[in-house]
Amino acid sequence: MLPDDPEDLDPGLARERTLLAWARTGIAFAAVGAAMLRRQPVAGLIVLAITPVIWVLGRVASQQIGSKPHSRQLLLITVIVTLVAVLAVVVALVGHAPGGLRELLPRLG
Amino acid sequence: MSGLNGQGAGGGVTSSRNGHDDHDPGPSDAGTEPDARFTLANERTFLAWNRTALALVVAGLGIVQLLPPFPGVPWGRHVLGVPLIVLGAAVSVVAYLEWQRNQAALRHSAPLPRSVLPQILAGTITGIAVLAAVVLLVSAVR
Repeated sequence: MLPDDPEDLDPGLARERTLLAWARTGIAFAAVGAAMLRRQPVAGLIVLAITPVIWVLGRVASQQIGSKPHSRQLLLITVIVTLVAVLAVVVALVGHAPGGLRELLPRLG
Repeated sequence: MSGLNGQGAGGGVTSSRNGHDDHDPGPSDAGTEPDARFTLANERTFLAWNRTALALVVAGLGIVQLLPPFPGVPWGRHVLGVPLIVLGAAVSVVAYLEWQRNQAALRHSAPLPRSVLPQILAGTITGIAVLAAVVLLVSAVR
């Protein structure tokens, strides 16, 4: 008799979905890096370099069971996203966009 | 039958595995290791919020770097873009705190706590939309 929940037949599906979620997160980092690359190549390359790190973190996390080891990896993701946001604020405030603050501030001063 | 339940943890508590985890920032060891499917679902939710955070960061950056300046409102792009980036950072931090709270609730078979992230997201995006309307109006008037 077949079980009600298909995951009882193949419990790996939940793990696979999680692995795919990690892959999507890595792709999101790549998209942010590519968006930064246009105006700020150095910042963009830094964020692009994070993409394989996320991929590896996901692979490692998928092989571990339990809350504690995952806690470290997820905290690392939070720290990385926060640092990327800080980098983005710096790029936004001192970047070379036409009409940006860098051009604006001397005019105001 | 639960296929993943207790894998590697023997269905029991994972505390005192080694002596190095005392200051780990993760969820408390109290309670029992939940069904791995619940842990994985919690993790996917965390990752989804972080992708939302990254989308907010890239949206804010796009507004500041790619949009042409608003005529007569030179600070307009920064007023709209920077809060979006800051919201991205906040969403990521709150997502981690909620992941911890959810995991602790799962370990105790308690009801999951209510998430504040939808309110934070909806409130801030509404505020930024109002701000965008103001910037457009000021730009049109000048």
